[in-house]
Amino acid sequence: MSVRTDAFLLRERKALRKKRLRNIRPASFFVLPGLILACVFVLYPMFFNIRISFSNYQIVQRNIIFTGLDNYIALFTERGDRLFLAMRNNFLYAVVTTPFIILFGLLFAVMVNSLKRGGVFFRTCFYLPVITSWVIVGNVFAYMFNAGQAGLMNYLLKDVLGLLPAYVPWLQRTWTANLVIWLLGIWKNIGWSMIIYLAGLQGISNDLYEASSIEGANKFQQFWKITFPLLKSTTFYVLVNMVIGAFNVFIQVYMLTGGNPRGTTSVLQYLLYDKAFNLFEFGQGAAIGMITAILILVTTVVLNKVFRTEGGKAE
Amino acid sequence: MKKLFSLLLALAMLISLCAAAGAEGVTTITFWHTYGDQETPILDEVLIPMFEAANPDIKVDAVRQSGDFNQMVVTALGTGVVPDIARVDITKTSAYAKLGGIIAMDELDGFAALKDAVLEGPLSTNVWNGHYYGLPLNTNCKAAVINLEQMKALGFDGAPATMEEFIAACKEKAPGEFKLNVSGVGDWDLYPYFWLFGGVLTDEGFTKASGYLDSEASVNAIKAILQMHDDGVFTIRDVDGTPDAWDGINSQYAMFFEGPWYPFSEGIVPAQIPTYNGITASVVGGENIVIFEGSKNKEAAFRFLQFMLSEEAQLELLKVGVIPTLKSLVENEAVTADPKWSVYMKQLESAKSRIPTPQASTVEQLWSDAMNMIFLEGADVQETLTNTAAEIDIELAK
Repeated sequence: MSVRTDAFLLRERKALRKKRLRNIRPASFFVLPGLILACVFVLYPMFFNIRISFSNYQIVQRNIIFTGLDNYIALFTERGDRLFLAMRNNFLYAVVTTPFIILFGLLFAVMVNSLKRGGVFFRTCFYLPVITSWVIVGNVFAYMFNAGQAGLMNYLLKDVLGLLPAYVPWLQRTWTANLVIWLLGIWKNIGWSMIIYLAGLQGISNDLYEASSIEGANKFQQFWKITFPLLKSTTFYVLVNMVIGAFNVFIQVYMLTGGNPRGTTSVLQYLLYDKAFNLFEFGQGAAIGMITAILILVTTVVLNKVFRTEGGKAE
Repeated sequence: MKKLFSLLLALAMLISLCAAAGAEGVTTITFWHTYGDQETPILDEVLIPMFEAANPDIKVDAVRQSGDFNQMVVTALGTGVVPDIARVDITKTSAYAKLGGIIAMDELDGFAALKDAVLEGPLSTNVWNGHYYGLPLNTNCKAAVINLEQMKALGFDGAPATMEEFIAACKEKAPGEFKLNVSGVGDWDLYPYFWLFGGVLTDEGFTKASGYLDSEASVNAIKAILQMHDDGVFTIRDVDGTPDAWDGINSQYAMFFEGPWYPFSEGIVPAQIPTYNGITASVVGGENIVIFEGSKNKEAAFRFLQFMLSEEAQLELLKVGVIPTLKSLVENEAVTADPKWSVYMKQLESAKSRIPTPQASTVEQLWSDAMNMIFLEGADVQETLTNTAAEIDIELAK
């Protein structure tokens, strides 16, 4: 009896395995290309980067000599606290720019959405900065915030409006330079945030507004009690994207300050670039990549804990 | 029909065989460069045909790179797909040498002659670890850019001969008006002033900064620059927020130091940098020519290098403003007859190179940090230079 049962079970298992294989085969046809590409261009470089971060990587000789935590120790104990300054600036960038991007993105989205005519025109206008080249706008900002009379801002604020007692060397001072970097980031990302909010607004039923109108709610109450709560998952999406984006800031710093003065406007990605391509410290560059990844991971987990409820929706 | 087809096929095979036979024995070398719009046609249409005619066994594939050239070279070194030969920035040569990406040329047949033929300042930028890893292909330096009208107002007919008289005239006739300008506090900007006022960066072998950068002479040099700044003679754009030199020289400044790319005009002319305590000084810029370790055609690449350092090639490029590096051309008529080139070639004789080290970026950063502390934050000169010298020592020892 038991022998017959075992044979039956074996047959059943075989049949099940065959069925699974039959299902996997057509699916693998679609999955494999993407999987191979992900392995080649994402997973392999990622693991290679982890390996380099613990090594002395001699790029020409292709030697990867294991050095343990040396690269990390070198970064954390470096003179001038370059790593800490870069991390500080990344966090400040996230803290300063994200609220403005969310606020103005939402504001413009609500305004554009309420337009009966010209919506496409304004949507395009607000979105233009997003698709404009970073290099071009970087140069424009460098001109606008040029030191001395040649800078547009200095000319306006001192010569025209008389608000400044002297010309400001915007990009040569730590906090004015950081301010310019933040401004560029805010200006460049509001359009993206607006588009995401516009998509979110399309999902809110008109019935809610009609019903609230009948109940006597005014526009502000409608926004505060209907629009804003129903856009919370959209806000969470924008928030996470902007915070992660804050750790990838590079071109603004590269174009405007080069991390100067004394690394006080540098950010992690610029420091990585500087270590790898100017100082040829590839191990330290890879280590900065790892540190960035860990920071992004931790920040995302914290954001998830703070802003998400059990149902998976933003509170 | 079949016969005709066979005949055509045979003919095609014969042609391809002939072509293969023709290609055999011809070595193709790849030359990476960043020549500009004016220089590239000279390279492609004049120099390379000239070289290939004289060397029928070598074909040059010149590739003009754009964007971040250093990044391109590093990526090429990482992937192993390198050119045979390249024109690279002088500040990067020792770094590529340390990486093992380019070859030491000392032992190459014909190198000694080339080494003796080129100007010593630009040549020194090729030294690393006691070996020469390249040769100066073209050079430049800073000279004085003079506003003749402003100088006249200060009482000079043309360029002042000495800094002492220039400073005195500024203090007397234009107090606080900043008649001398520099853009920033980086090495390219401030080294000429530092050297002019008697400062010393390192020992001659570029191995140690302590005892040199923090010496009495160097401290006095920085103090002299500070004094000029405090006296309202000398302004640093990035520190004071004053107009850029290129704008200000038209109406406000009497002088600034700049490379030969400044668009001189009738009223704004080049001149030797005025002497201080009897010496003049400048900083060397330009590009070196290097051969890559990964090249399979090093001998052919070196022949091309020799050609690029020949008088005829250097004179062709001078036509579009590329300053030659050959000593023999300093007194050449093409140079002496030109008011601009004669000034720059003469100034080159007193021009020094920045510290040729693989850690050049860090050293530059250390210098800029120190100058920022002194000029922006009012840090003590002696203390700052002593600390910076110690930090540069560490970098030079790497």
